[in-house]
Amino acid sequence: MSTFIKDFIDHEVMSRRKLLLAGAAGMATMAVPGAFGRGQARAALTDPTIAWSYRDRASAYWNSVLSGGEAFVESIGRSKSDLVSLISEGSSEKSLSDIRTFLARTNGNCAIACDPNDSPNARPIVESVAAAGAYISTIWNKTDDLHPWDFGDNYVSHMTWSDEQPAEQTARILFEAMGGSGGVVHLGGIAANNPAVERLAGLHNALADFPEIELLDAQPADWDTTKAAQLMSSFLTRYGDRITGVHCAADNIAYGVIEALRAEGITDMPIVAYDGNPEAVKLVMDGQLLATVFTNPFWGGGISAALAYHAAIGTFKPSEEPQEHREFYGPTVLITQADAAEFQAQYLDSTPEYDWEDFWGPSNGQIQYR
Amino acid sequence: MNSKLTRENVIRWAPALVLLGLVVLFTAINPAFLTQRNLARIALAATPPMMVALGVTFIIVMGSIDLSMEGAVSLCAVLFCLIFLKLGGSLGAGAWLAIPAILICGALYGLLTGYVHVRLQIPSFMASLAMGFVGTGAAVLVTGGDIVRINDDVFRALLTWRILGFPLMVHIAILLILLAWFIQNHTTLGRNFYAVGGGEELAHASGVNVRRVRLAGFALAGVFYAIAAIFQVARLGQAESVTGANLMFIAITSVVVGGVALWGGIGGVLNAVVGVLIVNVIGNGMVVIGLPSYLQDGLLGVLVIIAVVLSTDRRLVSFAK
Repeated sequence: MSTFIKDFIDHEVMSRRKLLLAGAAGMATMAVPGAFGRGQARAALTDPTIAWSYRDRASAYWNSVLSGGEAFVESIGRSKSDLVSLISEGSSEKSLSDIRTFLARTNGNCAIACDPNDSPNARPIVESVAAAGAYISTIWNKTDDLHPWDFGDNYVSHMTWSDEQPAEQTARILFEAMGGSGGVVHLGGIAANNPAVERLAGLHNALADFPEIELLDAQPADWDTTKAAQLMSSFLTRYGDRITGVHCAADNIAYGVIEALRAEGITDMPIVAYDGNPEAVKLVMDGQLLATVFTNPFWGGGISAALAYHAAIGTFKPSEEPQEHREFYGPTVLITQADAAEFQAQYLDSTPEYDWEDFWGPSNGQIQYR
Repeated sequence: MNSKLTRENVIRWAPALVLLGLVVLFTAINPAFLTQRNLARIALAATPPMMVALGVTFIIVMGSIDLSMEGAVSLCAVLFCLIFLKLGGSLGAGAWLAIPAILICGALYGLLTGYVHVRLQIPSFMASLAMGFVGTGAAVLVTGGDIVRINDDVFRALLTWRILGFPLMVHIAILLILLAWFIQNHTTLGRNFYAVGGGEELAHASGVNVRRVRLAGFALAGVFYAIAAIFQVARLGQAESVTGANLMFIAITSVVVGGVALWGGIGGVLNAVVGVLIVNVIGNGMVVIGLPSYLQDGLLGVLVIIAVVLSTDRRLVSFAK
């Protein structure tokens, strides 16, 4: 079935249901919010329900995102349990159908923050939300041809993180520690993953400025600690003493590398990582890692919900905002041995108090397409 | 077993010949492969999957299958760390109790899997897969998605203390291989695994309590999964809800590559040992000879198929299921 027909049927079903419901309530004028054409939503919603659509609760990352969302909900005087969790379990189809069900249930009176799970899934989600007159902010996944400003006010914003620059910074820190010469190996994520590609690209950027540094090898370790340990020990056989530095695409990978080296009695290898997990920050403080990078999922989770909610109640009008407020990069914080202790005190030992109406303060500029 | 026929002999020794062939091939391309240090690295990487493979071999010999190892290892690893830390976090000061505690946990976990399979009459494939998910879920629940770390130098000596150039855990693994071999060849239970795998009705008619043998097999496998979990923690110094990830593929592949037949009754502990070594030698060797990473997965698959073809006697089976 073509998407046009599918969308039309969805739309008609929703409209009829709403017409019946609204008719019963005697508010026929409010019946079909999507009928005025896309982008002409109701001026503002009153007391919209807030939802977060995300992958799962098993990972520290999404737990952090959700905690941020809950902190925002509490800041507007509601309770944590008022934040509706739509858990996709890594299924794009489930993510879309959950959101459509939620739109129907709330009659479009809602604000949604969402990771669409994969890039193509963002469009049907955003179209459903706009058609229902609700508001949405997305993170991480959307195609390059989909833009919030093509949907008036309903598609509030999209935030993603650019890993290339920070990965280049960690590489530079690594090369400085290696004294500007020697051999480096890179252990990456799953080869086709966007962050894995960007983090390796960052390393290559830094290599251009260090002609004395040789990239001996770069192979995927699939974000996996066990695989990283195995790969590192195989690298040791192949390159031996020529390895004088290790560039890891993630903290999880660095843990495996450290243990593979510990087994060989090597304790002074310069290593850099990425993600800013609590364990990694501790390792930076202990001097076992030179640096890692934090992307502040807590703030990302809170601010995405805040943007959708405040657009919905009319605090600000997204279509009047400049483009860098509609599509922007999330914050990245480089953690080195100089500031790890301070970082831990600020972000890990206590949760920072964020101003959830400072929408773009910590963000990192407009998303660039290549 | 009649060992006079050369054909049978060739098939029996095929996995070992495959292993030897791989070693010669990789050494010819890069002599660094056959250094003592690299062999120690391979042995170390092979230790946790070796324990899982030994456990699942008993089950496969019975003609069942166990797919719960990832959940079992994750849960045991996480619980081991938590108990270890609860008991003071150092092996000398009482935390050693975590070791027997976790072996019992593993046995109970296996027993529960076996119970679901035998009592509820659910095929072992489905029962164990479901129990694996239960284990992973329980590990997530216990940790909340966090990592639990152990920094006790005495416990970590399993990794860092070397005897004859090999880490301590490799020596312990060799002793456990001998134990598994002893169970298989010199205990009633071990012989009964073969009886059940060779023909369940026949075994039942001969007075073997098939249900009890199956339960015991799953419990025994659970103990080996718990040992694998302890080795994983010793090797990485941490546990999380994904500590057991990927072990299912490696263990099942290894067992089959080593010449243990999935229809039961054929092969045994030594086949599993050779199989694990083959898979780990391939994994290490492909990096050591500098094979591009995008070719590695494909080549691993091809080599596995070749090894299986060489190491199973097609004449002994009428069909493959």
